[in-house]
Amino acid sequence: MDTLTQLVSGFSVALSPENLLFVFVGVLAGTIIGILPGLGPMTAIALMIPVAFGMDPTTAIIMLAGVYYGAVFGGSTSSILLNAPGIAGTVATSFDGYPMARDGRAGKALAVAAIASFVGGTVGVVGLMLIAPTLSKVAVSFGPAEYFGLMVLGLTAVVSLAGKNVTKGLISAVVGVIVALVGIDSATGTLRFTFDRPELYEGIDFLIVALGVFALAEVFVLLSRRGHGGAQGGVTSLRLSKREVRAMTPPALRGSVLGFFTGVLPGAGATVASFLSYSTEKRIASDGDTFGTGNIKGVAAPEAGNNGAAIGSFVPLLTLGVPGSGTTAILLGALLVLGVRPGPMMLEQHPGVFWGVVASMYIGSIVLLILNLPLIPLFAKVLNTPKAVLLPLVVVFCVMGVYGLSFSVFDLWLLIGFGVLGFLMRANSFPAAPLILGLILGGLMERNMRQALQISGGDWSVFVTKPIPAVLLALAAASLLPTVVGLIRRRRARADRGWEVPAA
Amino acid sequence: MTEFRFSHRTIAVAIAGFALVYLLGAYHLPGFVAVDVPVQPATLPRGLGYLLLGLAAMLFFQRAEQAEDETATDATATEQPAEPDEVGLGRLRDTRLELAVFLVAACLYVALFAVAGFVLATAAYIASTAWYLGYPRHLVTVLTSVTIPLAAYIGMSEGLGVALPNGPLPF
Repeated sequence: MDTLTQLVSGFSVALSPENLLFVFVGVLAGTIIGILPGLGPMTAIALMIPVAFGMDPTTAIIMLAGVYYGAVFGGSTSSILLNAPGIAGTVATSFDGYPMARDGRAGKALAVAAIASFVGGTVGVVGLMLIAPTLSKVAVSFGPAEYFGLMVLGLTAVVSLAGKNVTKGLISAVVGVIVALVGIDSATGTLRFTFDRPELYEGIDFLIVALGVFALAEVFVLLSRRGHGGAQGGVTSLRLSKREVRAMTPPALRGSVLGFFTGVLPGAGATVASFLSYSTEKRIASDGDTFGTGNIKGVAAPEAGNNGAAIGSFVPLLTLGVPGSGTTAILLGALLVLGVRPGPMMLEQHPGVFWGVVASMYIGSIVLLILNLPLIPLFAKVLNTPKAVLLPLVVVFCVMGVYGLSFSVFDLWLLIGFGVLGFLMRANSFPAAPLILGLILGGLMERNMRQALQISGGDWSVFVTKPIPAVLLALAAASLLPTVVGLIRRRRARADRGWEVPAA
Repeated sequence: MTEFRFSHRTIAVAIAGFALVYLLGAYHLPGFVAVDVPVQPATLPRGLGYLLLGLAAMLFFQRAEQAEDETATDATATEQPAEPDEVGLGRLRDTRLELAVFLVAACLYVALFAVAGFVLATAAYIASTAWYLGYPRHLVTVLTSVTIPLAAYIGMSEGLGVALPNGPLPF
C-alpha cells in the first residue's frame, strides 16, 4: 500500500503540464536521433544532457527517460524499414520486421514494435517497482563464471537463427566470433589479427558489421534483382486484426519478463535480451518455422525484450548506484549533475525522487505510444521513395553512421567489405543473424571465461560447481535438445523419402 | 542472384582455405609470459580455426541435394518474379557487371569522402547513382542530391556535434 501511495505521489509530480511537454520533446528528439544509424540511446541521452542543465531535476529526468524510450524505438524503425539496425538491441527486430515491410506490412510491423515496446516498458516498470531491491542483490552476485553461462545460453540462439542448414548457421557464428577477436586482447594486451593497422586495435565495431551485412548487402541484393522485391510502400495500414493482437500478446509478455530479468544483470542488456526473447519465441511457437519471413511474433518478442531490458537496467542503477550499461552510465552522470545520487540510500532518503523517476518512465512509455503511432505512416513513407534514389541514400546513411562513429575512412572500407560478404552470404543461403550474435556475444564470452578461470586459478570445474553457471549451462544444453531431435527426425524423414523416390 | 551462387563444395573449400590461413595466424600469435594466465590469447583463435575447418568439412560432405535444395527453396521464398513490363534498375544486361559498377561507385564515394568532403562527395554519388540507375526526373535528382547532403551535414555538425569532412568547402 505504501508503495502505491508513493507511486501516486510520483505520478502527481510527473504529470504536470510542463513535465508532460518535456517528455513529449524527449520522446520526439530520441526517436529522430535513434533512427540515425550508430546513434543509439547512449548518444541521444548524452546529446540531450546540455538541454537538461538548469532544469528542475524531476523534469530533466522525465525528459531523459523519454529520450531513452524514443531512441530505442527509433532504432527499431530503421531496422524495420531499411534493414539497417543502428544499435545492437534492435538487430533481432529486423529478422521479421524487414520481411514484413517487404510484404507491404511496414505500418503493421511498426505498430507491433510500438505496442510491444509499450508492453515491455510497462512490465519492466511494474517489475522495477515490486522487486527492484531483491533483484539487485542477485545481480551483484553475478561474477564472470555466471556471465559466461549467460553468454553461452545466449549463443545457443544460433541454432534457432540458423535457418534450415545448421552447419551454415554455425559457420556464420564462428566467423562472427573470429571478427569479435580482432584487436587488443583485453586480458593480456596482446594484439590479435590487427595486421599492424592501428584502426583495428580497438576491434571492429558492431555497427560496421551490422550495417554491412544487413543494410548494404540488402542494397546489393535489390540491385541484383533490378529493384524488385524490396520493402514496399503504399500498404501501410496500422490496424491490427484481433487475431494478430492475440498472436502478439503472449510473445510480448514473455519477451517483457525475460527482457526485464536479463536487463537487471549488469552488462547483459538489451541485445542479449532481444536475441533470447526472439529465439525462445521461435522455439516455442507453433509456427516457429515461419520466423524470419515476417511473423509478427518475431517483431513483438525482441521489441518487448529490449524495452523490458532497458527498464531492467535501471534496477542496479537506482538501487545500487551501479550502472549496468553504457546508457545507464550516461544517465547516472546526468542524475549526478542534477544533484540526484542514486544508490542504496536513495529509496530511503529520497523516496520522492525514486518514485518520480519510476512514474516518469511510465509516462515516457505512454507518450512514446501516443506520439509514434500517428507518426508511423509518415515513417513508412520512406518506402515510397523510388528505388533508384533510395538505394544510394541507404549507402549514404550507412557511410554517415559509420564515419560518425570513428571518423575513420578505413572503417568505411570495412563497411563495404562486410557489405560484399553479406551479399555473398545471402546469395548462398548463409544466415547473417548468427554472425552478428557471434560478434556480440563471442568477445564477451571469452572475456568472462578467462576472468572466471583467472579467479579460479585455472580450474575449469568452476563452471559446473557454482550453482548459477551450472544451471545456465544446463539450460543452454537443454535448449539445444529440440533442435537436435528435430534434425534427427528430418534426416530420418529425408532418408525415408529417399527410399520412396526410386520405388516410385 | 543465381550468378553469385556457388556449389556448397566450392564454398566449403574456400572456407577451409580461410580457416587454414586463420590457423596459421593463430599459431603465430605471441604467447603471454609476463604472468601465468590460464588461457593464452591464442587459445580461442586456434580452437575457432579448427572448428571452422571441421564445419567446412561437414559442409563439403553434405549431400548435394540437401545443400542445393535449401538454396533453391530460399531463393524461391525471397525472390519475387518481376512483371514483364516493369522497368528494372540499371543499364547493363549482365547483373554481375551492374553490381560491379555499383560497387566501384561506392568505392569511389568512400575514396573521395575525406578528400572532396561529405557534401560534395555525397551530392556527386547520389546524383550519379540515381541517374545511372535510371531515375527519370532529373530535377528531383539534382534537388535531392543537393538538399540531403547539406541537411545531413548541417544536422550532424551543428545539431549533433559530429564533424563530417568539409573538403574544399569553407564550412
